[in-house]
Amino acid sequence: MVTLLKMQGITKEYKLGKTMVRALRGLDMEIASGETVAIMGPSGSGKSTLMHILGALDTPTSGTATIDGADLQRLKESQLVTLRGKKVGFVFQTFNLVQTLSALQNVELPMIFQGVSKSERKRRAKELLGRVGLADRIRHKPTELSGGERQRVAVARALANDPEIILADEPTGNLDTESGSAILALLKELSVNEGKTVILVTHDPEAAEIADRIVKLRDGCVSTGGGSSA
Amino acid sequence: MRKFFDFLQLAGRSIVHRKMRSWLTVIGVFIGITAVVALISIGLGLEKTIKEQVSGVFGVDNFIIMNENAFGPGAHGGGADQYALDLDLLKSIDGVKVAAALREHNGFVEGGLNAEGKPIQGIYPVMGLSPELMTEFESFTGELKPMPGGRLFEPGDVEVAVLDYEVSQRLGVDVGDTIFVAGDGDAELNLTIIGIMAPPEEEESDSGGGFGMQFSAGSEGDTISVPYETMELLWGLADDVLVTLVRTEPGYDVDDVADRAEDALRERGSDISAVTYTDISEAIGTMTSTISAFLAGIAGISLLVGGVGVMNTMFTSVLERTKEIGVMKAVGAKNSHVWTIFLIESGLMGLVGGIVGTLLGLGLSAVASAFIGRFFDIELIVVASPLLIVVTLLGSFALGAFAGLWPAWRASRLPVVDALRYE
Repeated sequence: MVTLLKMQGITKEYKLGKTMVRALRGLDMEIASGETVAIMGPSGSGKSTLMHILGALDTPTSGTATIDGADLQRLKESQLVTLRGKKVGFVFQTFNLVQTLSALQNVELPMIFQGVSKSERKRRAKELLGRVGLADRIRHKPTELSGGERQRVAVARALANDPEIILADEPTGNLDTESGSAILALLKELSVNEGKTVILVTHDPEAAEIADRIVKLRDGCVSTGGGSSA
Repeated sequence: MRKFFDFLQLAGRSIVHRKMRSWLTVIGVFIGITAVVALISIGLGLEKTIKEQVSGVFGVDNFIIMNENAFGPGAHGGGADQYALDLDLLKSIDGVKVAAALREHNGFVEGGLNAEGKPIQGIYPVMGLSPELMTEFESFTGELKPMPGGRLFEPGDVEVAVLDYEVSQRLGVDVGDTIFVAGDGDAELNLTIIGIMAPPEEEESDSGGGFGMQFSAGSEGDTISVPYETMELLWGLADDVLVTLVRTEPGYDVDDVADRAEDALRERGSDISAVTYTDISEAIGTMTSTISAFLAGIAGISLLVGGVGVMNTMFTSVLERTKEIGVMKAVGAKNSHVWTIFLIESGLMGLVGGIVGTLLGLGLSAVASAFIGRFFDIELIVVASPLLIVVTLLGSFALGAFAGLWPAWRASRLPVVDALRYE
């Protein structure tokens, strides 16, 4: 399989108040196209920071991070935006839906920024919401949906621009067991049926079970599972 | 462009979502807009009303010749500046149909006898009037009415006079009597009184001349009026003209004729300026628009306050939507997208304020015009200038957008990772 994400000697430092935090300290890992990977580790191990870099939300302080061959550090801000807009779909622990928009409009949002036509957007958003089992809830606002439903809207939104990578940050963290399992099943299905590369950042051992491979982080480095299983 | 409409929708939803705060912000904007629109509209209405009144009196084919100091920039307002005039030259200019002048000179006058049998004497202003003033320019002079038993000048009259009522009383003379008037050097005439002007009635005293051009007998009460030619017999060629009225031939451009008349007369040494309706209406326009601009400027301060209100609302909005901004950026929004959305949002609030403010302002100006009109007993024209409306609407959008520039810039520059972490 083709290597989709490649991290070499990644360090990331940022200021938190007056102290310098070294979140990643020379991290190496590879993820192949189509893999389902769970990134696990205790709090402060650098999981979130790694996820930001994997999703092109942030760039490393040093080291080389490439997504589908594109070196993040060489990209301009606007190119990073385009990259994540097209290649990455995010699912967050707190859903992060726009409260003023309906489920349908939330799913449309990423397509608006890519300039997809209105009719195409509507068609695709409806299709995606149908796929996550919310065909009858498309006009509802996030506040009118349950936690599990909101996360399914978020998954549909992550799929809007048909990205290769789905990045899920604690997707089951705010859900009950049943809803959580349903979301995990949905993510697994995307990997199996559509060949999406699914990356889960999680504490949840059950979540990790759907992964082909588990990468464990400790103190900003990979402790086990950094190499591609390919 | 497609994105613009999508962003418009996003911005609109966000405004509607925060109904209360959005409305308060819009109120802050439309109070200012209302004041500005109302004041400018009233100003425009006033200008139009005055111009129509003036054109009613003035007529578009007439012009006035006055001393060059009496009108235009540097005018010191004194209407009594006299000037030399060659009336015959003026009449001979191509395009001049009628020209009528008014000159005034103080003269020694003797009237009837007093109780002691001596003649009553005095220095009185003597006015020479072209007969055309009364026949052709009634809109300027108002209707002149002598008391019963008398008449006004007729063509061919020379040694005659029309007296104001008051001066006739003082000199102790009546219609049919003669008065003695001494001119320059040896010139002197005995003039037969053919008419006495009715004393002015208080109420009508200012309604005759339209806009204060009542230089006829009766205005001061102590004037002796004689035919224009009679003045020449007493005081020679005219160097004491107060005002000249000219009517142009149909088909001629008034401004052109006025220019040529001005040049020709100046060449003869007359320090005059020819004033046409265009000149007057420009002067009125300058005056009223200066007043309007001044008032609107004051009202503009409240617009500034409205703008600051929009800015405040937008900053609050940026702050409370930090996470939303992070999400939008995470799903592919560029900085420019975020910037545009916030700018549209603040611009929309300005625009809504503008629409409401324009409607209220126009309504207010109509009501205020009615009140002012009743107070001054004139009918003020209500003006809804399309230009004003368009400029106001564009301006209010610009005001909102301008107030949103800084907050929108802040929003667009939020680092996505920090914005996502924001609670």
